[in-house]
Amino acid sequence: MTNTTLTPPPRSQAPQSPDARPTGTTLGIVKRLLPKSYLLLVLLAIIIVGYYVSADFLTARNAQNVIAAASITAVLAIGQFFVILTGGIDLSVGSTLAMSTVIIALTLQSGMDAGLATGVTLAACAFAGLINGVLIVWLRIPPFIATLAMMSAIKGFSYIIQSTSLIQITNQAFINAFSSGSWLWVRNPVAIFIIVAVIAALVAKFTTFGRSLYAIGGNPEAARLSGLPVARNLLITYTLSGFLAGLAGLIAAAQLQQGSSLIGVGYELDAIAAVVVGGASLMGGKGDPISAVIGVFVLATIINIMNLVGISSEPQLVIKGAVIIIAVFLSSAGGVQRISGFFSSHFGRSRVTAPA
Amino acid sequence: MSDAVVSPDAPDELRLTGITKGYLGVQALKGVDLTVKRGSIHALAGQNGAGKSTLIKIISGAETPDRGSIELGGRQMKFREPIDAQNAGIHTIYQELSLVPSLSVAENIFLGQLPKRGRTAVDWSRMKAGARAALDRVGFDLDVRRPVASFSVAEQQAVELAKALHKDARLLLLDEPTSTLPLPDVDRLFTVLRSVAEQGVTLLYISHRMDELYSLCNEVTVLRDGRNAAEYSTASSTASDVVTAMIGKSLEGSIADAALRGERSPRLGSGHTGEVLMSVANLSEDERVENVNFELRRGEVLGISGLIGSGQSELAGLLAGARRKTQGTITLDDKAVVFKNPRDAIRRGIGLLPQDRKAEGFIPEMGVAGNITLASLPMFSRLSVIDSHAEKKVASQMVERLGMKVSSVNQPMKTLSGGTQQKAILARWLARSSRLLICDEPTRGVDVGAKEDMYELIRDFARSGGTVIISSSEITEAMMCDRVLVMARGKVVAEFEHDDIDPQGHALISEFA
Repeated sequence: MTNTTLTPPPRSQAPQSPDARPTGTTLGIVKRLLPKSYLLLVLLAIIIVGYYVSADFLTARNAQNVIAAASITAVLAIGQFFVILTGGIDLSVGSTLAMSTVIIALTLQSGMDAGLATGVTLAACAFAGLINGVLIVWLRIPPFIATLAMMSAIKGFSYIIQSTSLIQITNQAFINAFSSGSWLWVRNPVAIFIIVAVIAALVAKFTTFGRSLYAIGGNPEAARLSGLPVARNLLITYTLSGFLAGLAGLIAAAQLQQGSSLIGVGYELDAIAAVVVGGASLMGGKGDPISAVIGVFVLATIINIMNLVGISSEPQLVIKGAVIIIAVFLSSAGGVQRISGFFSSHFGRSRVTAPA
Repeated sequence: MSDAVVSPDAPDELRLTGITKGYLGVQALKGVDLTVKRGSIHALAGQNGAGKSTLIKIISGAETPDRGSIELGGRQMKFREPIDAQNAGIHTIYQELSLVPSLSVAENIFLGQLPKRGRTAVDWSRMKAGARAALDRVGFDLDVRRPVASFSVAEQQAVELAKALHKDARLLLLDEPTSTLPLPDVDRLFTVLRSVAEQGVTLLYISHRMDELYSLCNEVTVLRDGRNAAEYSTASSTASDVVTAMIGKSLEGSIADAALRGERSPRLGSGHTGEVLMSVANLSEDERVENVNFELRRGEVLGISGLIGSGQSELAGLLAGARRKTQGTITLDDKAVVFKNPRDAIRRGIGLLPQDRKAEGFIPEMGVAGNITLASLPMFSRLSVIDSHAEKKVASQMVERLGMKVSSVNQPMKTLSGGTQQKAILARWLARSSRLLICDEPTRGVDVGAKEDMYELIRDFARSGGTVIISSSEITEAMMCDRVLVMARGKVVAEFEHDDIDPQGHALISEFA
């Protein structure tokens, strides 16, 4: 307290604060959607490293491959993000993805129209998600247990309906729509994930549904006492996660041109890792979908670089684990502040001691 | 005023000089001195944000000071971890108890140093005897084999004290130990603390309740804005002096001042009431609320008073749809209503200020604006897209109207003081245009200045035609209502009109037991 005694105490200064700036412009909306984290810098650093270690890395063809491969995980991660935002977790998405490939292959094999088959598949996967929601909301089974059980049940169900080893997909209209086709020079799976990501970002930031998910994850009891429709929104969230897992499954089926219950083993963990690398908290209430997508690309790019320089798959797993730890430390565990705090307290010249 | 006697030439047990501490640009302590005599009970007072908790953290080793020295019993100390301070004999009893609920009393007292028989076996008989001896020092006789969770809060606190004494504590830090205790237990705790002090242990006591400081402590150090504001002996000062030093201006004529001096408190309601808004018949919830009947009129401020755990908080929850009744009827606007969840009650214009702000009141990571509009999102959205202009405008208006100290309407709720948080929750219901406000312990954990603001806001709300129910375990708060229902063991045992209560509230207290 030096010369501040001359001014009245700051009782309310909000109306003039910089946060009251107009945000209605397109630029404003884009600015608000971009995550304020170090994650983009991390991704950029990885890309620079890739550029130096491999001549093939920064080519249009390789970029296309990375993005196409990442689009499946990205769609999964967006669904997973909403679940994690509410403080839950969905371990069943890998199995749901596998079920999706089996159902689409079966329905196409039976001669069903590609559009109708797609609809049936997505509806079935959304229904699987709804069952998760019912178990969690009405039977009050913790999300981890409920979706772990569903992971097993859905996998078993796909084995049963599949009955043979794998089912080929020959329907060109379907393969074209979800894998080989393109729209305005963008390959279809990439277009799908971009559309999903943009819608997800808008929903999370600007809708009452998104807001209430942040509230439910941040403090479920306060959300309930404020009259938010907690049960309904949780049901929608798990249904959405199932639906998006189904969509990711369609992309996978079209890429592999087959349906099999063996596809997608461990994908749920990749999606969870990406969401967490993207700065979301498993306790809920934090993060945003674009960061989750960037998290997918951080991991996918590193795998790609390691493939290009010829690192075999076993050390790749070790490095991937290390990257997850480092990224989470930097983005959500307050690592940047701790590192800068360490430097300023050991080498700094009174940067922190400015009067309040 | 205090009956504990400490000779003036007792040696200094704790001496802090020039303690400073800053967190990322915010200077929490700006050179604080504190001297505590051996065997005395010394109070530390100050508003929220004055630096009390930071100072306690530094003494207990949870934080290291940027500058300044700590002397314990005349020896220079440097604590890097809480365990260093504990080894030196400094133990802290926090607001939230830090016992392991599922372990037995004996195990908790010996936690970390279980007596052994042979190489690996635990010596149970030695442990039980030791635990009983430790409990005896604080004047309690408990079954030390039972898990801690099966005892009352007061008994758990005794276990915590016994644990500290068992570990040879020489300095005990007590951070609002009475905030969760019913009144008779507070008296018992004070007896225990006095006897502990007589055994030569020094106590540093923090509380918002002035009456406690004056009945228990020998000296008071007041902090304001991270500095020493004043130092009083409780024998030669009044609570009013301390509060004045805490907020840095005179309180004369304010409600808080009147309450402090035990005077007749100005009422919250206007006294003018309209037709019946709500009537409650035979309302019950298993074992918590039994057969409650009352009528509530428009514009009335109704108090529901009782010791903590008497059912007043549960009744508030029932009326706001937060809990499910097992029996009885609630009639609102002459129509019987059933609240299946808070949503049903909110839709009919009822808003609840919950008792436990942190656990039930707000979304910690979300901004102030988001927390204010949480119950009225449909009013701020079209086709479920939030109109952030309208939201910000209303939030800014509320911030100004309620005098909330925030840097912007996007400031995360968890970074605000308790009083500002409480105002934001009140703003949530004002934004929703609620007509019945149910406040459960509206000023708990709120500092003196904000407390008075809350009363003023409730008064404004009632004056503009709103109806209020205040459920409170604080006598002074109940005495400010137009009418008071007194609860004991889940039942309404008495009813008083505002004017029929004596200035000290003895009429209420005599019905509590």
